[in-house]
Amino acid sequence: MSVVESPATRPAAPAPIRPAASKKRKSDKTPWLLAIPALVLLAGLLGYPLVRMVVLSFQNMRLRELLSGATPPWVGFDNYTKVLTDSVFWGVTGRTVAFTIVSVLISVVLGLSIALLMRRVTRGVRLFMVVAMMFVWALPQLVAAQIFRWMTDSDFGVVNYLIDKIPGVDYANHSWFVNPWQGWSVITTLVVWAGIPFLAITLNAGLTQVPKELLEAATMDGATPWQSLRNIILPILKPLITIVTTLSVIWNFGLFTQAWVLRDGHPEPSFQTLATYSYTQAFGQSRYSLGSAIAVITVILMLGVMVFYIRQMFKIGEVE
Amino acid sequence: MVAVAPVMKKRRAKSADDGVLTVGRSKAGTIAANTAGILFSIFMLFPVYWVLNTAFKPANEVLSLEPTLLPKNPTFDNFLSAFKAPLFLENMLNGVIITLLAVAGALVVGFLAALSIARFKFYGRKSIILVILVVQLIPFISLLIPLFLMLQQAKLTNSLIGVSITYLVLILPYTVWTLRGFISGIPRELDEAALIDGCTRAQVFWRIILPLTGPGLVATSVYGFIQAWNEFIIINTLNSPDKQNLMAWLLQNQTTRGTAWGPLMAGAIITSIPVVIFFLIIQRNIATGLTAGAVKG
Repeated sequence: MSVVESPATRPAAPAPIRPAASKKRKSDKTPWLLAIPALVLLAGLLGYPLVRMVVLSFQNMRLRELLSGATPPWVGFDNYTKVLTDSVFWGVTGRTVAFTIVSVLISVVLGLSIALLMRRVTRGVRLFMVVAMMFVWALPQLVAAQIFRWMTDSDFGVVNYLIDKIPGVDYANHSWFVNPWQGWSVITTLVVWAGIPFLAITLNAGLTQVPKELLEAATMDGATPWQSLRNIILPILKPLITIVTTLSVIWNFGLFTQAWVLRDGHPEPSFQTLATYSYTQAFGQSRYSLGSAIAVITVILMLGVMVFYIRQMFKIGEVE
Repeated sequence: MVAVAPVMKKRRAKSADDGVLTVGRSKAGTIAANTAGILFSIFMLFPVYWVLNTAFKPANEVLSLEPTLLPKNPTFDNFLSAFKAPLFLENMLNGVIITLLAVAGALVVGFLAALSIARFKFYGRKSIILVILVVQLIPFISLLIPLFLMLQQAKLTNSLIGVSITYLVLILPYTVWTLRGFISGIPRELDEAALIDGCTRAQVFWRIILPLTGPGLVATSVYGFIQAWNEFIIINTLNSPDKQNLMAWLLQNQTTRGTAWGPLMAGAIITSIPVVIFFLIIQRNIATGLTAGAVKG
């Protein structure tokens, strides 16, 4: 089943059976009538806000305009110059990009390793792994973040308790979010932990499609496991890896919940990502226009990855 | 989840074999792999176990410097106090209403749109598919500012309707995309046979395609339910505390009484239960969907 149907493979089925109907269907409005409710909703609540967001970023909308309903004054590129010349913004952008790269790399490599491990273990262990991952996957993001907040609590958190057990290490009352590097390692652990199930299970499903005979033949011919991985498994898995990596980039780049919850809804400057930064500017400080400008820049930054993903989806569609 | 095509047939049959390699595997290697697999699973499950462990502990055990692996005096107090907490039941009811409205709306609207792109060949079809794929990738949170202003002007903030419509749109692209996959899985010959037998096209949709899409409708609505139920950023921004859902309640709860970990974890469990159950029911669709087409054996 292709993800996107290619027109060539779709038969023009009804034509020979009911010529009259097919002639009528040429100027048929039915497909549009069927699609219109969905299109109207998407246009109204996704399209229009998107346009409005861009418009807002060229205005100066503050609390006063929000309450009075007056049209905010136009300010041209002021918001953009303000944002782009602000070192805080670049810090946030750099941090978001760095986090995305690190977290996606760890997630994908670990996910692939777990998927490969699932091929090697016995049936019972594999089932245990799948069940464990399913529970993690099913947990709502907010709940997962709350659990990590509790586990890393400085006074009663189990993580401090366990680390403190190591001889010579004093982690009692250790606060994980004083040092941004430590705080970010908690956030990264949470994101990787929550992301592994999707990656490992999807990649494992992909691995089942790698022909067993090919691997057996390679082993017979004296290929090392590493050579089999590099020359057989990875090339076959490449389209799938590309898709899950792209998706992970898109998801992790938009990191909000984890940073937000672990920092009690008030992320310090060193824990801001582009998403939380835009949100805080808009709803914390009522700088709606500045927040919009940041959101526009965020979307533009993600555009490349999105285009890549869509193209990949269409490409796969054409393969079948 | 983005653009996961719901293809669950045929792959099942293959998995009996599982494609596990048997040549050149040592026993020691298997033992090592099994150990690694078990350790990994324990690592994954630990947070889940810890929330359960905490939720059943009385307050003095929760706030203990020597946390125990099991509650010494297991209790349901945390669950009771979560239920009795201000707004918990109201927010739970709100969540149910919002989710049901959003899912029902998305199913109706989404089914029609899916019919259109799965069963008709028309100019603009590819553009609609492109739109559906693209909008799934836009981070909804970046649209929150204009959305908030729009709903504010329409006097739909602080109402269940405003949030329901927003959630409907949030899950709509996925719904259309998934149902499209299910509908194109139904052989066109059935449509044609019905047409020849004198059905109108509307009857074909109603009597043939709709019943055959049944499992697809279930899977799609369950996934929509999970998404709508889990959302909290939008509702937290648009609505005041009495008009929120359970997820937002969990968030509020953290700021107002930061240290009540027991009830918070109990609340987290109550909030997660429907989602976890639903997720486990449909997980096969989610897991197999994405690989479909991406890997050729």
